[in-house]
Amino acid sequence: MRMRMVDRMSDRDTLWHIATYAVSIAALLLLWEIASVIIFHVKGRAFLPNPVQAIAEMVRLGPLLFRNFWISAWRLVLAILIAFAAGYPLGLLSGHERRLDRLISPIIYIVYPIPQVAFILILFLIFGIGNPVKVAIVALALFFQILVSARGAAKQIQEEHVMSVLSAGATRWQVYWHVVLPATLPSILTSLRVSVGLGMAFLYIAETTGAFDPRQQGLGRFIETNQYNSQQAFAGILAMALLGLILYILIDVIERIVCRWRYTSRRPS
Amino acid sequence: MIDIRDVVVEYGRGLRAVRAVNGVSLQVARGESLALVGPSGCGKSSLLYAISGLLPPAEGSITLNGEPVLGPQREVALILQNAGLLPWKTVWQNANLSLKLGGEYPETTAENVLDEMGLLPVRDRYPVELSEGMKRRVGIARALSTAPHAMLMDEPLASLDALTKERIQDLFLRLWNRHRFSLILVTHDIEEAAFLGQRIAVLSECPATVKTVVENPEVGGLDYRLRSGFHRTVAQLRSELEK
Repeated sequence: MRMRMVDRMSDRDTLWHIATYAVSIAALLLLWEIASVIIFHVKGRAFLPNPVQAIAEMVRLGPLLFRNFWISAWRLVLAILIAFAAGYPLGLLSGHERRLDRLISPIIYIVYPIPQVAFILILFLIFGIGNPVKVAIVALALFFQILVSARGAAKQIQEEHVMSVLSAGATRWQVYWHVVLPATLPSILTSLRVSVGLGMAFLYIAETTGAFDPRQQGLGRFIETNQYNSQQAFAGILAMALLGLILYILIDVIERIVCRWRYTSRRPS
Repeated sequence: MIDIRDVVVEYGRGLRAVRAVNGVSLQVARGESLALVGPSGCGKSSLLYAISGLLPPAEGSITLNGEPVLGPQREVALILQNAGLLPWKTVWQNANLSLKLGGEYPETTAENVLDEMGLLPVRDRYPVELSEGMKRRVGIARALSTAPHAMLMDEPLASLDALTKERIQDLFLRLWNRHRFSLILVTHDIEEAAFLGQRIAVLSECPATVKTVVENPEVGGLDYRLRSGFHRTVAQLRSELEK
């Protein structure tokens, strides 16, 4: 009975979620339309195409835009995965193991504040001009972001939770599996959301910097080469926004699965 | 039998070392209950963590059934202040945790314990969905799941309302009567100590030493709160703590 009620509530939640997303997107499109009209009247030229024109251009460019979308998407996802695989465990270790932290934290404090774009030339020299360098630029920027977040989250773990499993005879590995990992998941998923935005910015820089293969442009290069054709440029910008939206939704879905306890109804005290 | 001899517990090392427990000696026989009372921050919890094996004593020795306690032991269950439940695990997963960490998974054991606690209907809920009283019962279920020889409790009923507190004290008493584990209870609730402790060790200000041990042999009945022995013990404890 309770399960059926929970299912029904969960269906209603999902519908509510979709409805609010739809309203939010509609509001954004409306604001865009208003801005487009105002700019047209003030400047006398359509510097900012309206949403209908941009969406129509997206449809017209179809396969070409999709190819670039796909190239950028896998570069970004691969970079996030590499940064996550390297930064998350290292951040957890650094945040939870005091001795290791003493070794790692000075390195973080020195390297993290350096703008990661400063390393672009070195990365081009190491990885050449193909796909690897574009992925490496984004992965390097996100690595520190995820590392710092994971370290902070691991430091915030309640001592009581660690004591609770240690007193039951947990090994070090079991402490990580039963406490450190789940306790830091919500923070790290928030960090991943930030990483999507940051990753997009670095992807744009990576795709528009240096030499490139005309068959492997990506959305960044597509937008840059069409910057004097605002309708095409905005079709590319819309495609980038769509990529971000898909990744955000994906992270939301992952969070609902792996952090289920955060989505249960809290009992009033 | 838990044998605590001249135990000293310190935090930090060398000149910066802060002594929390200073030469405490106590014995708790199998099936006996001992309550530790004392002022806030006197070192009661530190002593309990040392007994559980989480905190190695700087001096002295702690043995369980003749074997030195060198780390957390399966035979000793520790219940922390807020039950120590993991928010990301369901009632069932929390209750099973000690068994799972030990590499065992006899589901019937955990199921029986949850049944005994009246928690089976909420087995799939998360701690955030439970009342404070229920959370404490899950903590007890987890402690009981390994059938421990000794149960150590660090202010397990702190911050509960009076009625819920009494109900869980009654539950502790019933479980202690049924399972006859050794019970060491840290509390600053004098009435709780008098209701559950056959002996009550009154500790001094930090670093903790044993000021006196109050005998309370009539403990064991649910109606003990109504008896004159209970009120005598409460009065005696109050006067010892005020000294």
